[in-house]
Amino acid sequence: MSNGPVVEANRLRKDFDGTVALTGLDLRVERGTLYGMIGPNGSGKTTCIRILTGLLRASGGEASVLGVKVPSKSILSRIGYMPQELAVYSDLSVHENLEFFAGLFSVKGEDFLRREKEVLRLIDLPSRKDDLISTLSGGMKHRVSLACALIHDPELLFLDEPTVGVDPELRVGFWDYFNELKRQGKTIIMTTHYMDEAVRCDVVGMMRLGEMMAEGSPQELMSASSASNLEDAFLSFARRPRA
Amino acid sequence: MKLGRVATVSRKTLRSLRHDRRTVAFLVFVPLLMIALFGYTFGGDLKHVKVDIVNLDHGSMDQSLAADIAGELQNTETLSVTHYFGPGNGSEAGPSLDRVQKAEIWASILFDENFSRDVGIAAFNLSHGLPVEPASIKIRVDATNPNIAQAIFTEVQKAMQRVLVEKYHLIPPISIQQQMVYGQGAKFIDFFAPGVMGLAAMMVTFMISIISFVHERSSFTLDRVLTTPVTEGEFVAGYALAFGLIALIQSMVILGAAILLFQIQIAGNAVLVLLTIFLLGIGMQGLGFLLSSTAKSEFQAIQFLPLILFPSILLAGVFWPLEAVPEVLRPISSFIPLTYAVDAARSIMIRGWGLEQVWLPLLILAGFAAAMLALSTYSLKRRK
Repeated sequence: MSNGPVVEANRLRKDFDGTVALTGLDLRVERGTLYGMIGPNGSGKTTCIRILTGLLRASGGEASVLGVKVPSKSILSRIGYMPQELAVYSDLSVHENLEFFAGLFSVKGEDFLRREKEVLRLIDLPSRKDDLISTLSGGMKHRVSLACALIHDPELLFLDEPTVGVDPELRVGFWDYFNELKRQGKTIIMTTHYMDEAVRCDVVGMMRLGEMMAEGSPQELMSASSASNLEDAFLSFARRPRA
Repeated sequence: MKLGRVATVSRKTLRSLRHDRRTVAFLVFVPLLMIALFGYTFGGDLKHVKVDIVNLDHGSMDQSLAADIAGELQNTETLSVTHYFGPGNGSEAGPSLDRVQKAEIWASILFDENFSRDVGIAAFNLSHGLPVEPASIKIRVDATNPNIAQAIFTEVQKAMQRVLVEKYHLIPPISIQQQMVYGQGAKFIDFFAPGVMGLAAMMVTFMISIISFVHERSSFTLDRVLTTPVTEGEFVAGYALAFGLIALIQSMVILGAAILLFQIQIAGNAVLVLLTIFLLGIGMQGLGFLLSSTAKSEFQAIQFLPLILFPSILLAGVFWPLEAVPEVLRPISSFIPLTYAVDAARSIMIRGWGLEQVWLPLLILAGFAAAMLALSTYSLKRRK
């Protein structure tokens, strides 16, 4: 296991037919960190995650994940990805979705059943295991989407808005689980709109207009901007003239 | 390529269908409906075509050739003689023509007053080397439907020959001896059943493939799958296997129905026929996959269907032989995979040919399937 950063990006750029989504992003995430990306829509959070997971090619700069330059198939068995969209098969049951994604990671037999039990407990849906996704509520579908990202017990998790549509009680459960994963040495990189969630991250990256505006622990960011909460800190950084 | 992951993708695809009863019904009943409808409508002979017979023939030497031919015509299943007017009803020729003009009947068959006498003279002159003026039967026909017009001409010709040969022993100097090299006892349905089988497999695999992949893209499940260790090739192969299997099941349904309902013949190896359809199904699935990347929604995807379907129906030799396709369009037929599938399946089923004779169309289908799978894999590997 390498001691270097789990994720590293240098001068990462991404253009979409003339529209610049990332303008030269630098990022470094250490192992065992719970890293939160915050920023308004269009700030480049999702684009950054899609480049790191290999779904997009960077237009400039470079990035490595788990010590391997991306995009690369070789790291995919070690990462879990939960897209912003539901990205589960609505014409399959919860169990069938989990079995499918587990199968792609070659998690089978007893291992699968054990993992399935664990993730179903986490998302609080053991009783709906055999129900079709199309019969679940929006929040439940979101929970199944998270379970699919966790089914193979990855060492690095990319979660794009993982708690959207999840009720407050369950969100607490999610955060307990994220902290548990962190204790196990796993790394989590997530995007979120909820500032009260971002406060729980070890490191927060504030993104705006395709670049990293500020980065540090929530306390550091609030101190540096003399703000009492992350939202004010974000606004304070956003008002500063760009370098 | 890990077969386990290919099987995982195939199982997922088939499971999705299992929960969708309507689609399963579509997959099974559409081909069944196609073969039943085509079989009953195209496969049957024309029956009970309404005609009038106006026989004004006085006869010759106490015999009326026209009455004999008219009698034969009245005994056929093809024709239904609505009115028969014997000699002395000359005034009926006009009203009978009116009935054709009013589309109440398809034809009015008219024997003139001297028909038997003219036939006798023509026969005498022929045997004595004198110039021959043939007797004539006037058929005033509504040829709006060429098939019906042709059927009437054929029946009259057959009736005429039967009477001349069997009753008057006037044997024509030339006879055509047919020897069926292939297709002994083949009916029209034997000709088009392989085509319908290929058409159904092509239509359904292409349609569910293009819609499935558009859905994979629009619901972002494809993105998620591509962040797993499954390779693009394994994903494409998994889908191909599932859809190939569906094409195979459909072909069995069609074959079974065609055998049970229409007693079609399968002179060759049925497994080879299924292999042909399997290859076609895989290729069409790949084509659906490729085109899915250009469609933003299921609604746009479905617009490709007539574009693929109509040239295949018309130019691939499903219902008409390729020789009936205008020469200017024939090169297009060579680019339609269904052409090769129909050709191979037909040769196996009717001619009883084996792999040694149909290897070329099968090779072309295999090449088409391989090319589509390779291109689909390549299109997935391309990242924005």
